[in-house]
Parts: sequence; structure tokens; C-alpha cells
Amino acid sequence: MTEFKLTRRQFGLLAASAAAAGLLPIPARAANGSLVAATFPGNWEDAYRRVLTPLVSEAGYDLTIAPALAQDQLAKVMASPGAPAYDTLLMSPGQMAIALENDLIQKIDTSRLSNWSKLDPAFQGEYGPTVTVEVNGIAYNPDLVPAPKGYADLFENPAYAGKVSWTGFGSNTAVMAYTQLAKIYGSGPEDMDAVFKLFADHPENLAGVVDSTNSQMSLYQQGEIAVFMCSTGNVAKLKSLGLNAEFVHPETGSPAAPVNIHLTKGSNNLDAAYAYMDAAISQAAQEQLTLPPTEMFPTNMDVALTPGIEAFVTRDTIPSLVYPDWALINKNRPDWIRAFDALVMG
Amino acid sequence: MRASGFPFLVPMLALSVAFFALPLALLFAYSFAGETGPSLENYARFLGDPFNFRVLLNTARLGFETVLSTTLLGIPIALLFWHSGQRTRQVIIFLTLIPMLTSNVVRTFAWIVILGRQGPISETLMALGLTGAPISLMFTEFGLILAMTQIDLPLIILPLVAILSRLPRNLTEAAEVSGAGPWRVMVTVLLPLMVPALLAGWILVYASTSASFVTQAVIGGARNVYVPQLIYREVGTLFDWPLASAIAVVLLFTTGILLLALSMLSRHRRLVGHG
Repeated sequence: MTEFKLTRRQFGLLAASAAAAGLLPIPARAANGSLVAATFPGNWEDAYRRVLTPLVSEAGYDLTIAPALAQDQLAKVMASPGAPAYDTLLMSPGQMAIALENDLIQKIDTSRLSNWSKLDPAFQGEYGPTVTVEVNGIAYNPDLVPAPKGYADLFENPAYAGKVSWTGFGSNTAVMAYTQLAKIYGSGPEDMDAVFKLFADHPENLAGVVDSTNSQMSLYQQGEIAVFMCSTGNVAKLKSLGLNAEFVHPETGSPAAPVNIHLTKGSNNLDAAYAYMDAAISQAAQEQLTLPPTEMFPTNMDVALTPGIEAFVTRDTIPSLVYPDWALINKNRPDWIRAFDALVMG
Repeated sequence: MRASGFPFLVPMLALSVAFFALPLALLFAYSFAGETGPSLENYARFLGDPFNFRVLLNTARLGFETVLSTTLLGIPIALLFWHSGQRTRQVIIFLTLIPMLTSNVVRTFAWIVILGRQGPISETLMALGLTGAPISLMFTEFGLILAMTQIDLPLIILPLVAILSRLPRNLTEAAEVSGAGPWRVMVTVLLPLMVPALLAGWILVYASTSASFVTQAVIGGARNVYVPQLIYREVGTLFDWPLASAIAVVLLFTTGILLLALSMLSRHRRLVGHG
């Protein structure tokens, strides 16, 4: 029988291997007193890390801001429903409907939010507070193109040929614009065949289709594109970078999407999650977030709108914005995504 | 008698099983998940759609085109290394390795600048009078291959350099004395000796290119769709995980067959200069 001997050197190597194995990144839940909050990448991520981390820290909790698009947040939470990747989610009604359908979020205890009463009742959702309303429209570069009147202009005015960038139906910003185009060129927001025909008739609009608004921001900076569908926040960010960018309200109305913080089902850090929600709707945080480069519309009634925000929207005009039918969108979205991708590929 | 080293392999084996083999097995099992139980419906859905088939072919073509371009660039660089002195060799290795120390994402975004309307390629073409207006290579397969070639070039240069650095430099002199011209030396002496390194490089480049989600998405745009984007779409946007698993298995299978073929070629005695 082979005699097994272990020298000191071999033992040391074995111990080092075991220690190294222990250092591998095994997904761990945050300890008590901390939370992982999902936010959109880019401007949102920077702003929430800068503004909310100190406020949550003051309340006695560690905040980790994790950037992820709303669809990705859903995918990651679906992947591990028992131990969710995020304690809180950030999303619009479209994704909220999917989260509810899949039992991923829970109703909140509003008595645990000291700033709850400061919110306009329209922003007091039972599944979490609305932290802002994203107003959507068209971003354009005045150095390269004239101001578009609306979505139809981008297809009918030769000045925009080859200068407009679109994204696929996975993007909320894009899908809201497409439902508006379906109203203009088709029989209603569900008539996406009319939109596909429009793109087929204007192939120059298919050349600049990219994967996300974040990619469009990079391309805009490089002068690759002159027009893209955006939120006011995107334009505020471009301006803060010193770029010449303007926002246009489409003549058919500006699509809008409330952005809510939701409490993930299965979160073990409820105290921290409530502290984070409360900080996000506090006057201190929202006042900072109304300033460039974010210029987010405040849902806390004690926060005054800045001239920069009032140029786009006021508290009185919020109800008159276009709020898409997300149930209709969610029902058709998979088919639309697949059909559009096939159309774009040619 | 010396003790077996097997116990020392146990931690690594355990990690490989837990974090590689097991997830792959789960992925494979998940790809058969159907509405009413295990079935092949996800594979039928994927392979039955001509769009998906085109995406699969596009991905394979992108891999082959990048392999070709990295080979055409990599061989001269490796030969330059072989013929150079110590200092030049250090410079070549440094320039090869430096890009690898930056993130793939950073390199991809640098290529946006290079390929863009205001980038050096467009400016140079305009300066040479070859184009009257700025041109953009963004969202084109050519631009994507350019970016992928730069990103994956070290993967083919390093194996070539490893092999060539072991060859005596008077090898070519011996062939020339025997009457062989430069091309004949290249084709009959050097290339056969380089084949194992080329095959290793091709495997690395093909695998890297066909799975490079970020570069494909950012440089290729939405008009050039490849399998990784399709998988991402099914997982992150449509939440159709069984179909995404089936697509991933198909990608693994097709890539695996190609890599297996290349591996078998690398063991072919006549091909690698032993015959």
C-alpha cells in the first residue's frame, strides 16, 4: 500500500489552496445594517451613490448601489427568488407589473417612512414610493439638425435621414416612442405592424439601431448620432458634460414613466431598505437630485422645481403627459422584440 | 515510493465540479424544460426560426473572419519577434501584453472613437482624398472585425512567440543554403513548425470572438446580431430561460465541435511538421 506522507511544504500549499478557495466570491447576503439597492446605470447610479449613501449612512446603514437596467433587475431576482440579489428594485410600471405577476415585490409599511406624507398622493404606491417621473421626448444636437416637431418629423423630414438612432423594444424609452408612432401611423398603440412598415420604408432609420440608451449617449458624445429618444435626465447629463443637446416635447405628447422603489420579496434587510426609501423621498435628497446633472422631477411636495425642470415639466403638467398602457405593452413585447430584431437585421 | 499528489488536486477538482461542471449540467437540463415536461421544443423553436439560424451563421462567420485577420497580422509580428534582438523582442512583448491589461470594455469604447466619423480612420481617409465626407465604420461588420482583431491579436501572437522563441535562428539559413527561396522557407519550414501554435491561437481567438458580447453589441450595433446578444435578449428582456439555455447549448455545441476539430488537427503528425 502506498504510504501517504505530507511534508511541511506540501501542508503549507494545501493550506494556501484552502485559504484561496475561501476567498472566491461566493454570493453572500448583506449583513444586518446594510442593503443592496438596484438603480439604473449611468446618471442614476452616480447620483444615488453620491446623494443617498451619506443619508442612509447617517441613519446607521451601509448602502451598496448596484447598477442594473430594470429588465436585468427582474432577471436577476427571478434567478434567485429565495435570496434576491437586491433588497430594493427601481423600476417603472411596466416592470412593476411583471414583478407583481412573478411575486417578486411586496407591499410596504408606509408607517415606517417618515417622509411618506410629503409625497403627492399620486406618488404613494402601495408597493413603494415614486421617486421621480421620467419625462420622455427627443434629444437632438442643434449643431447638426433642426429641432424636430415630433416623431413623424424624424421619418418625413430629409434633414434627419441617417442621423437618428433608435433602440430595440427592450428599452422602455424606445417602446414608449414606438407606441406613439403606432398611434400616428397605425390604428392605435397596439398596431406595431404600422411601425415596422414605417421602418421598412425608411431603411436609413435602421442603420443606427443600437442596444441601449447608454450606448446612444456614448455615440452622441462622439458625434455619431444627432437625434435619439430620451428622457429629460439624458439631456441634462449631456449638457453637464459640456455637449450641445436639447430636449423636444413631441407634438403628440411626451410619454412619461413614474420611477418607483420597490421592496424585494425575501429581503432580509427591511430596516435598511425602509431607511433607503425614506432617504430617497426626503427633501434633502430630492433637492440635490433636482440640480444638474440629474434634474429629476421631485415627488416630495416640499421641494421646489428648478427653472431647469420647469422648462420641461411642472406639477400642473404632470397629469397631462402620456402614460402608456403597460399591460398592453407587456402582453405584446416579446413578439415585438423578436419582430423588430429580425427587421433590423434585414 | 513517492506519495501521490492527488489529495492536492481535490480542492481544485471540487471547485471545477461545483462552479463549472454542475452549472453546465444545470444549463443543459434547463434547455429541455417545456410547458408539460422535458422536451426538445426549445431546440425546435430556436433551430426552426430562420432568423436564429442566420444569427448562428453570422457568429461562426465573425469567428472565422477574426481568426483569419489575426493570423495574417500575427504571423508577421511573430516572425519580426523571432528575427529581432533582445530589446525589440521586449518591446513587441510589451506592446502585445499592454492591451490585455486593460478591460475589454475600455478597449471596445476606445474603438468607438477610432471607428467614428471624427476618428483617425475617417480623418486619414479624408486627408488622403479617398473620401469627400466623414465616414463611420460603426455598426458595420468590417468595423467589428477591426476591433475584434486588435482585441484578440495577443491570443495568437503569444503562442506563436512561444514556439518561435525555441527555434534556432539559423534554421532558415540551412534551408536557404539548400536552395530554398524565402517563400519556400516560409511554407515548407516555418509554417509547419508554427501549426501547433496557430491551432492553439485559432481556438482562443474563435472562442473569444464568438462570445464577446460587449464588443459585438457596442460596435456591431443592432444590425449585426450574434448568438451572445440573442442569449442576453432571451434571459434579460424576454425572461425565456429555457430557450436561452437551448441557445447557449447550441453555441457550446457548435463552438465545441470546431474546437475539437482544431484540437484533433493539432495532434495530426503530418500536419504539425513531424511527417
